[in-house]
Amino acid sequence: MKFINDTIHSSVFFAAYLMVAGGFLITALLTTALFTTAQASNYPAAGNFSEGSKVWAENCNRCHNMRGPKELRDDQWITTTFHMRLRAGLTGQETRDVITFMQASNTKAGATQVAVESSTGATGKETYEKTCVACHGDEGKGAFPGTPDFTSSDGILAKSDAELIRNITNGFQSEGSPMAMPPKGGNPNLSESGIKAVLAYIREAFGQ
Amino acid sequence: MMSCSCYSLTRKLLVTAIAVALPGMAVAEPTNADLQGQIDALQSQVTALNTEVNQATEWKNPNTLIHTAGYADVGYVKKEGQDGSFVVGRFAPIFHYQYRDIVMLEAELEFEVGEDGETEVALEYLTIDWFLNDYAVLVAGKFLSPIGQFRQNLHPSWINKLATPPPGFGHDGAAPVSDLGLQVRGGFPFAGMRANYAIYASNGPEINAETEDGIDYELDGVAAEGFNADVDGEKTFGGRFAILPVASVEVAVSVAGGKATVTNVEGEEPPLPPGTVGPVANQTARDYSVYGADFVWFTGNMSVRGEFVKTKVGNDRSAGVTASDGATWQTWYTQVAYRLPNSKWEGALRYTDYDSPHDSVDIKQAAIGLNYLVTNTFIVKLTHEFNEGKTDQTTGVKYATDDDLTVLQLAYGF
Repeated sequence: MKFINDTIHSSVFFAAYLMVAGGFLITALLTTALFTTAQASNYPAAGNFSEGSKVWAENCNRCHNMRGPKELRDDQWITTTFHMRLRAGLTGQETRDVITFMQASNTKAGATQVAVESSTGATGKETYEKTCVACHGDEGKGAFPGTPDFTSSDGILAKSDAELIRNITNGFQSEGSPMAMPPKGGNPNLSESGIKAVLAYIREAFGQ
Repeated sequence: MMSCSCYSLTRKLLVTAIAVALPGMAVAEPTNADLQGQIDALQSQVTALNTEVNQATEWKNPNTLIHTAGYADVGYVKKEGQDGSFVVGRFAPIFHYQYRDIVMLEAELEFEVGEDGETEVALEYLTIDWFLNDYAVLVAGKFLSPIGQFRQNLHPSWINKLATPPPGFGHDGAAPVSDLGLQVRGGFPFAGMRANYAIYASNGPEINAETEDGIDYELDGVAAEGFNADVDGEKTFGGRFAILPVASVEVAVSVAGGKATVTNVEGEEPPLPPGTVGPVANQTARDYSVYGADFVWFTGNMSVRGEFVKTKVGNDRSAGVTASDGATWQTWYTQVAYRLPNSKWEGALRYTDYDSPHDSVDIKQAAIGLNYLVTNTFIVKLTHEFNEGKTDQTTGVKYATDDDLTVLQLAYGF
């Protein structure tokens, strides 16, 4: 028994030691990339809005309730997301993507922002997959608690087009949800025709 | 005399009023030139204002960013057989100081009020995080233990679905609380999936021993709380590796190993390095190892998670004063939380089984919770613990761990 215990402990210790030593060595080799990222004139470099919304929706809820974009200012989202990079094990690129999404999504209705990709010419399906899917999910049932279920027969799609377009344009907080959808789903460049197209797609794909 | 003065004043006022009114009455409709002048003046003002507004955006991108986050909780606690009490749980501000995307200093203080009314302050963690590249961050200082997920990610009261932590994940439990040393952590894509890791080298824990007769000793507990000195000179190496096969699932294993020595005996302060005079002189370093595994799965309104941690300290067969058998601390829990659709109500269930070398702290616990999310970061929690402790073999009486507990808690994360 003692032999087995000693062997197990020696193996654990050796594995842990190897893991740490190897990890530090790999880190030392990778630090050459430091000098290409740290010298950028602006920080953090612009990320990808759509990817950011996806990373936000898929990771934050793993530990805690979702925090909406309007909870913090642009500069506060930088420190908060860098802090969360460590907690959630995000890559640097994922961190920049989330910051871009949060900063673009906390703007007031009517504001425009150049960092967000244009929705001009996109179909309703394309707009949904870029702007809406992170929160509302592939199946329209909501990707995390607090988002409405589009497939519910007496759900949010029972409202008129005019009311839904107004809600999408100005942002909206569903009853019972502790977090509001930002104006235009967080994509300030979403046009009026784009909103109509995505609403038509939502009704077609998920409506009862 | 008085009447003369009033007359004079009234007259002056009338003259002044007429003088003010006349020019207005005499002015004709404004000319185009007048209007153009007013428009030019307004445009000039708008241009100046725009310039000022644009120049005032410099605060958005300074090289140094300062931010405060954290959490706090207060509530009411009622333990079986005791009177209930209003309590302040803790206030834990977290300070972030960041220089561009290069480095961040993170520090969390923890303020608690003791039963005697005294305020206790502790440094939960303090690290300097050097963002080396997209896949690695060097974390130096006192950090929350990367073993498992509860200590490093879930213990803040606004995150924990229940008002109390699972047994074995607190101080002197099976899971390390914090450590002091160097850590590298990050995330990376892995075979079409995502993965994250943390590896560290640290001062490691201190082992406590106890004795009833001053002759026979036994291990009391492993204090893994980020000590600012390595009194036994033995380092610990460890880490955690997690993989996310799909976005809604994370599975991880943790391991740590090294040597640790008895540096404290109950009632003896302060800790004494091995070899010095005192009850802990000439102690032999023991094997120290930690194994852990954890998972989380969430779908729609439901999340399921679980965690297992086992800490093992080896025998000491030397001639040292506290030479004794080794000991094992082990705990696991699994938890389900479900948010009612289109509502702010949430239910949570958790089952925990904690085993240690001491019957007095061993416990099996089922906890049930009902939460109301006023906002996503301000939560009212009602938790009831059904506790099953062991029986004292000498008295035949159940230990205090057998008492049930009810907690009403207001938790706020900011």
